[in-house]
Amino acid sequence: MSGKSFFVDLSTCTACRGCQVACKQWKKLPAEHTRNVGSHQNPQDLSSKTIRLVRFNEARDEDGKFRWLFFPEQCRHCIEPPCKYIANMYTLGSVIQDEKTGAVIMTDKAVIRKGKLEGWEMCPYNVPRQDKDTGLWSKCDMCIDRVEMGMLPACVQSCPTGTMNFGDRADMLKLAKERLAEVKKTNPNAYLADPDDVRVIYLCETKPENYHENVVASADQRRTLMAGVSPSKTSRRGFLTALKNKA
Amino acid sequence: MTNHWNDLQNSDCILIMGSNAAENHPISFKWAVKAQKRGAKIIHVDPRFTRTSARSDAYIPLRSGTDIAVLGGMINYIIKNKRYFHKYMVEYTNSSFIVGKDFDFKDGLFSGFDSKTNSYDKSKWAFELDDKGIPKQDKTLQDPNCVFQILKKHYSRYTPEKVSSISGVSVKDLELLYNTYTATGKKDKAGTIMYAMGWTQHTVGVQNIRAMAMIQLMLGNIGIAGGGVNALRGECNVQGSTDYALLYHILPGYLKTPLAGQDTLEQYNNTYTPKSNDPESANWWQHYPKYSASLIKAMYSEDTPEQGYQYLPRLDNHKASVYSWIPLIDHMYEGKFSGGLIWGMNPACSSSDSVKTRKAISKLDWMVNVNLFQCETSDFWKGPDMDPEKVKTETFFIPCASAIEKEGSVSNSGRWMQWRYKGPEVFGDVMTDGHYFHEIWEELKHLYEKEGGVYPEPITHLSFENMCEENEHGHMEFSARKTAKLCNGWFTRDVEVKGKKFKKGQQVPSFAYLQADGSTTSGNWLYCNSVSDTENKAMRHDASQTKEQANIGLFPNWTWCWPVNRRILYNRASVDEKGQPWAPKKAVIKWNGSKWVGDVPDGGWKPGTKHPFIMRKNGFGQLFGPGRADGPLPEYYEPLECPVKTHPFSKTLHNPTAVQVEGEEKAVCDPRYPFVGTTYRITEHWQTGSMTRWQDWLVEAEPQMFVEISPELAKLRGIENGEKVTVESVRGSLWAIAMVTERIQPYNINGTDVHMVGMPWHYGWVTPINGGDSANIVTPNVGDPNTGIPEYKAFMVNIRKWKEGDN
Amino acid sequence: MNINRRDFVKLTTAAAAGIAAVPAFGGLGKAFANTAEERAKQLSPKWTQQTTSVCAFCSVGCGLLVNTDLETKRAVNVEGNPDHPINEGALCAKGAASIQMTENPKRPGKFLYRAPYGTEWEEKDWEFCKKRIAKLIKKSRDESFEKKNAKGQVVNRTMGIASLGSAALDNEECYAMHSFMRSLGLVYVEHQARI
Repeated sequence: MSGKSFFVDLSTCTACRGCQVACKQWKKLPAEHTRNVGSHQNPQDLSSKTIRLVRFNEARDEDGKFRWLFFPEQCRHCIEPPCKYIANMYTLGSVIQDEKTGAVIMTDKAVIRKGKLEGWEMCPYNVPRQDKDTGLWSKCDMCIDRVEMGMLPACVQSCPTGTMNFGDRADMLKLAKERLAEVKKTNPNAYLADPDDVRVIYLCETKPENYHENVVASADQRRTLMAGVSPSKTSRRGFLTALKNKA
Repeated sequence: MTNHWNDLQNSDCILIMGSNAAENHPISFKWAVKAQKRGAKIIHVDPRFTRTSARSDAYIPLRSGTDIAVLGGMINYIIKNKRYFHKYMVEYTNSSFIVGKDFDFKDGLFSGFDSKTNSYDKSKWAFELDDKGIPKQDKTLQDPNCVFQILKKHYSRYTPEKVSSISGVSVKDLELLYNTYTATGKKDKAGTIMYAMGWTQHTVGVQNIRAMAMIQLMLGNIGIAGGGVNALRGECNVQGSTDYALLYHILPGYLKTPLAGQDTLEQYNNTYTPKSNDPESANWWQHYPKYSASLIKAMYSEDTPEQGYQYLPRLDNHKASVYSWIPLIDHMYEGKFSGGLIWGMNPACSSSDSVKTRKAISKLDWMVNVNLFQCETSDFWKGPDMDPEKVKTETFFIPCASAIEKEGSVSNSGRWMQWRYKGPEVFGDVMTDGHYFHEIWEELKHLYEKEGGVYPEPITHLSFENMCEENEHGHMEFSARKTAKLCNGWFTRDVEVKGKKFKKGQQVPSFAYLQADGSTTSGNWLYCNSVSDTENKAMRHDASQTKEQANIGLFPNWTWCWPVNRRILYNRASVDEKGQPWAPKKAVIKWNGSKWVGDVPDGGWKPGTKHPFIMRKNGFGQLFGPGRADGPLPEYYEPLECPVKTHPFSKTLHNPTAVQVEGEEKAVCDPRYPFVGTTYRITEHWQTGSMTRWQDWLVEAEPQMFVEISPELAKLRGIENGEKVTVESVRGSLWAIAMVTERIQPYNINGTDVHMVGMPWHYGWVTPINGGDSANIVTPNVGDPNTGIPEYKAFMVNIRKWKEGDN
Repeated sequence: MNINRRDFVKLTTAAAAGIAAVPAFGGLGKAFANTAEERAKQLSPKWTQQTTSVCAFCSVGCGLLVNTDLETKRAVNVEGNPDHPINEGALCAKGAASIQMTENPKRPGKFLYRAPYGTEWEEKDWEFCKKRIAKLIKKSRDESFEKKNAKGQVVNRTMGIASLGSAALDNEECYAMHSFMRSLGLVYVEHQARI
């Protein structure tokens, strides 16, 4: 389980949104039409055009302290990615996992008839989004093109404060643990989100729901998704049954 | 900035007050966070909880415009608790100077005030001199008329209770701020200030900064690594454009514009060349005549400096109330200008009181606007409340090359002169601004030579060829490289200076070699040393450092920095009289027995031989500053529009010397406009948005004009989050989307809740559709008496639900 | 200047796998690379020239790397310069969007003129604008030039023209603007630093 990983230190994020735009710049993704709905966050959600989004939330933490929380959301590049198993049940070759880096990549084969599959049905973090016109699913690909050229992913390079880090998994885990120990000195509530399951490891300062609904995935969620693709239930029907039974 | 961006990492306490660095200078936080990770504290004092506050160790809310109360309280705290760095304060500041008997202060007014002209006779604040003409000192600081005692008396009035009652900062928060920040008064500790327009855009703007500079001097925080007084400039080259004097009161290098009555270069030089009788004062401005002559010679190479001086226009005075932005727009509004050249600016949105400004532009017979994109200024004639058929103004929109399409240098806040190379070709038919200046001048020269006209010599003699090179077609065209050489300066004839021989045409190695006799040119003496015979140092990309430089993050071979590549100003104040650093672990410079190591020292003299503040006539940091228009010490005044009738420090409610426009109404305790308004910027847009509102990745992130208000105010006005509201002031009104947020809180002022309405000024009617208009529709035409900068940060408004028929 | 210095390796997995491109693309209105292979190409010295620049927004002075297509001479990628000591490759939202300041379908490439009381812009060439602007400057200057002030002191100044701008100019252009405006006798010279 080597490969690459991100370490995302939310305790230093300033929500400058350099990463959100750098992602669009590198991938030449179009802007969406948005309006102000009483929050600085925009767009309101991930989409096929916005595969990386800085979420803004105002919340009271466990100690009652007011916090303005920033959550740069992206694909977590799961070690065992449910999307790979599930999307490939619909169209083979939709999702591949790069052996060297561990990047989970949705390919141009990931076209699935609309209405057949929801993001949350294949991702415990509900990250992938389907283009409404073409039916193509997409999400962050770890800037695999840049990584192969020896460069940092666009979001990581653009980050000023050391929130976004990228490198060999062992190094990122080490960095994550060091930073956690440091942050815990002043904030005992700090934790790493699902460090064993994903390649995008967030250091969080307050409970997950204060940031966003899918910051961590429960073991249950993960099991539920994966149950559908266990060797004995490889069919889509089997998966949905498993899901239903669980619910 | 006295220091530079990387240097923030060396700080032990970063005070961010009057700025929102994480949002408006986002990459500064790379270095602020680095300091924080090393154990430094970041304190944000601001009317709003912003992205900066979110990353600070402490956030302290204050009512906009009350900074001097809070800072005056800090000075009081420093003195009462002896938090000052005693040796630094005594040896390097004017704390020991004796102030003359004419100085007095009563009820908010200093001596010398003339109520007819609303101005001071500054001679009343002069220091007492000894028989050699050197200021008298009492280094025991006991003399009742010494600066330290005057400060002590003046700021003893700024008690935490009084400060709290007017600023809304709790006494507990004041204690936290004062105690944390003044802990940097120890000799090996560094505290720094990051401020921006949150301090300058007040009718007490200069005194806000003076107050902090005084604190930094008392704590020994100037000249050191991780310290300084750091203005975060707002535009990529506003440092350079100020150095190059696109302002009424200065010529390049902070020389003064000539005044009526200064009929000869000699008279002019005599007026502005200070004289000191103290052999230990470097009194750097004694070299003024060399810089003025070299500038004139750069402009008029065929003339003598004396003759060239005659081509410069003269002002009647240097008063901000006469020539600066606010009176300029007022003149335009009164129809006193026939033409306007508006270059790379969008005053229809950036000027205070946009409604008046837009009308003012329509009074011009002609107007040229040069910009990357069309904006509210170029298109003013078809804007809101304009009938194009009734607007006489002949209007030009000249598109220009973008930054990456041309070459040239820009100077950042840390004074780094950085070269930009040309990437893509210029777009469409456009050219660079430099080409436009040159070609219009060429045409004018031709017209004056052909037709004659009034006093044509200043135009026809202008040595524009100094800025041009022959292109591949054999035509002379504007050349940034050639101009950079001129700005540095070259020898106009073979000469010997300081024992060195120079040939005509050679570059001047540094401003120490500039001459007053016309033998040198220099378009800006501060930039002399930037371009040598062999290299343009702004182009350097060499990250090499000595061990001492690496220790504090200096990159002396990466581009170039004015003056003479000195990265931290006043660095002689970072060492004792033997040249040994106060903070050996983060030494800026150090005398190793035979030479200085580290940064370029502020003058190469041996340690202990010169006072460190070399740009001041007497060589000392000015705790007492007798040069300002509104007094030698910062004093508390309310903004010109305010929610209170009195304040606890005196009966003088407002800065009596503030710039105002006669007859313009102001809302003071006006029930129609009960809330404090303030304006600001956000990360995703820039200035009026004249560029960023065309960049759809940025519009996507922040698509519409908004206003941030507290849940309490929202309840009071029945406003829901995300709802359209109307903001109005004496001057005008606009719509915005309400952002109701706990990040804004009412301030407790004298026991009453005072609410704030905060708005960005990035929007305008041209684009995007449904984006909204400029917040400057509601801002006032009042300004600081020294700088003339408008009070964009504190004024009075009303907010209510939007209704049909509103703007 | 150290350009084109990156080591470029051939794309393997990514290109072979045909990483999803978003067909809905259309933001910049120009034919930009939008597949992994094309993106990699845009940094290759074979296809583009890399130059350094400095961000045109705030005054931090972040270093930029600009890649310009050798054929079209248009910028194809602008990102932070990792070697720059201030930003070390980082950029905020504005800096990261820099390319849209230059490569933008809404950017005007023509000179526009509105006659007095006109209701529309008309496209003109630079020659027309230059000649007309020079004429107008001369007229305003000659009509409003004061040789002496009310006190009879020599002032030699133009009272009828105001100049505003600009912190968006390079230093060298600022110097050119200063000397040009002062040669015209202007005293009302102001810019962003004042507001």
